[in-house]
Amino acid sequence: MTLAPSFLQQRPPLGDLLDLRAFTDVCQSFSELYRIGLKIFDEAGNRLVDVKVGNADFCGYIWTKASGREQCAATVGRVKSDPVADQATPTVFDCFSGCRYLVEPILYEGDAAGRVVFGPFVPEGPPGLPASLTGIAPDFDAALAAGYQQKIRRVPTATAAKILAHFLELVDVLVFSGHKNLIAARLHIEAVQESYRELQDKNRQLETSFAKLKELDRLKSNFIATMSHELRTPLTSVIGYSEMMLEGLGGPLTAEQREYLAIIMEKGENLLQLITSILDVSKIEAGRVRLVMAEVDVGQLLRDAVATVLPQARKRGVTVTCEPHGPPRVVGDREKLRQCLLNLAANAVKFTPTGGAVIVGSEPLPADRVALRVSDTGIGIPAEHLSRVFDVFYQVDGSNTREYGGAGLGLAIVKSFAEAHGGEVTVASTPGQGSTFSVVIPVRPRSEPALTPVLPAAPVGGA
Amino acid sequence: MVQINQQARELAVKVVYYGPALSGKTTNLQALHQKIAPELRGRLMTLDTKDDRTLFFDMMPVWFRSAAGVKVKLRLYTVPGQVIHESTRRIVLQGTDAIAFVADARRAEAAATLAYWNNMLRNLEANGLDVRTLPIVVQLNKRDLPEVRGDDELADLRKVIQPPVVPAVAIRGEGVVETLWTLLSLTYRNLDRSLGLGARWKLDEAEFLGRIFEKIDLRGTRLPEEAPAR
Repeated sequence: MTLAPSFLQQRPPLGDLLDLRAFTDVCQSFSELYRIGLKIFDEAGNRLVDVKVGNADFCGYIWTKASGREQCAATVGRVKSDPVADQATPTVFDCFSGCRYLVEPILYEGDAAGRVVFGPFVPEGPPGLPASLTGIAPDFDAALAAGYQQKIRRVPTATAAKILAHFLELVDVLVFSGHKNLIAARLHIEAVQESYRELQDKNRQLETSFAKLKELDRLKSNFIATMSHELRTPLTSVIGYSEMMLEGLGGPLTAEQREYLAIIMEKGENLLQLITSILDVSKIEAGRVRLVMAEVDVGQLLRDAVATVLPQARKRGVTVTCEPHGPPRVVGDREKLRQCLLNLAANAVKFTPTGGAVIVGSEPLPADRVALRVSDTGIGIPAEHLSRVFDVFYQVDGSNTREYGGAGLGLAIVKSFAEAHGGEVTVASTPGQGSTFSVVIPVRPRSEPALTPVLPAAPVGGA
Repeated sequence: MVQINQQARELAVKVVYYGPALSGKTTNLQALHQKIAPELRGRLMTLDTKDDRTLFFDMMPVWFRSAAGVKVKLRLYTVPGQVIHESTRRIVLQGTDAIAFVADARRAEAAATLAYWNNMLRNLEANGLDVRTLPIVVQLNKRDLPEVRGDDELADLRKVIQPPVVPAVAIRGEGVVETLWTLLSLTYRNLDRSLGLGARWKLDEAEFLGRIFEKIDLRGTRLPEEAPAR
């Protein structure tokens, strides 16, 4: 990576350093004040400013003569192009007409950025026109020319040099501030461009790593889906054969053996549930959740959930009650909604201490929605964790020695299923007093076509 | 890299004063502006857009013509020290021929100094410049303040880092000329190696330094032994 060449590395021409229109105005008023014309050329010889004062008639008359024209052009060429020293001193150029020019370089940072041609003026000396002028043509009218010459300022060379030095000081300030403004403007742009380029670079890097992460995430989800499936198959055999033994298909069992087998079965079921949850999550992450929509009896849904967690609740000394209010039926995926309530209810029982209460209920909401609620009087969730409890694998207590088990999948599944129904899940909690989770879903799905796919209309008239 | 105009026999050398904010880079240039005779230098240009401070750096040209007719133009720059001016810093550093790294000598500033040193290394790299061959002088500035690194620490520092270390109190003009001298001496030798300043341009080190330093107010300055007689 290397930067584009900066403006700082360049030396702009004189014309770029000055606002030429404003600068011409300055030259004009300066010339008029001292009644001496001036021309400004840049380093390459381009004329930037040309102000004539007083010499128009005189020079115009000379131009009517062929020889005058020729010699005038030569003088103009000399003042414009003849070398002058890179020093702050004027060089004198005499015109054949008796007029005089002073030429001095415009020095900027020690370099000649251009030159000022100051004149013509009539220098000190005997009055009258020189022979070099009167001899340019046989019909030269000296009296007329002398009259015209009166209009050109007569000034000693030393005085003109002082005026010129003063003018150059003015130019120096103008060039400096012009250069400064130009650098400021260009560097602003360059700095912005450079920052932009840097940002783009970083964006590209981020995009690349984001793409890599996404690919890794996809591979991970695939792996989990495959593994869960592969784990389930042998586990089903473990549970199945244990069940068969319990039923006495392998011969009579002692009480102790039955107890052990029951434990194997129970733990096997737990494991199976966990694996199923993982599979659900991996399906959700892979975007493969599909809802099977049907009319669902809300009361039944709530009672099912209560019945399922009741044995566990009794064991822990927690009361569970069912409080259905609101619409008796919703349209949704029965299995997914059941799973939602079950996950919430199981959590509520898990996190509620002995003597506590869990309420599983429903409630109508405006805009044709219903809330399926699970409230408990459990330990609650600290505010700083509330926003993350629905993240996959998130545990409020993430330590190795945490009191409550679980894989951190239950709430993530609830959230996905609720959203798949076009709803959401919310939580309100006060640490030490309890939590309320609400699955809010529309009574009827909003996008009807998803429920009853529209078939393409049969072509009219047949084919 | 040094800009060469063979035809006009001109060399343009870029010197950058780099360092953390408020370490005294601009103060260095201001002191030099005062000490260098006006015929040898231009105005000190300070790009300070007061409203948003997007740009903040200084520039001062210094030039001379050698006996053999070679025109040498030095451009002294400072970089903006504030962290957010990273891109301007990188732009100013472009094509530099020498660096004066101005550091605050106070112990409390050591971490910021190191961060800027590393920042400079990154920006040099971004500009395709090699820190190992670039002439660099470290100026330990603000030595008049309390809690600065002492002479013994300076000696230790000299042992571990390659660039020469020059102590300074830039606000009083102390060490400023010494820093420039040390840096330009290194710069001459570097350019002599790459361009043959002595052999091809007929410009030896004594003249290179002499042309500049004979026009500098050296009162209160202690230059090394090889300083040209005035």
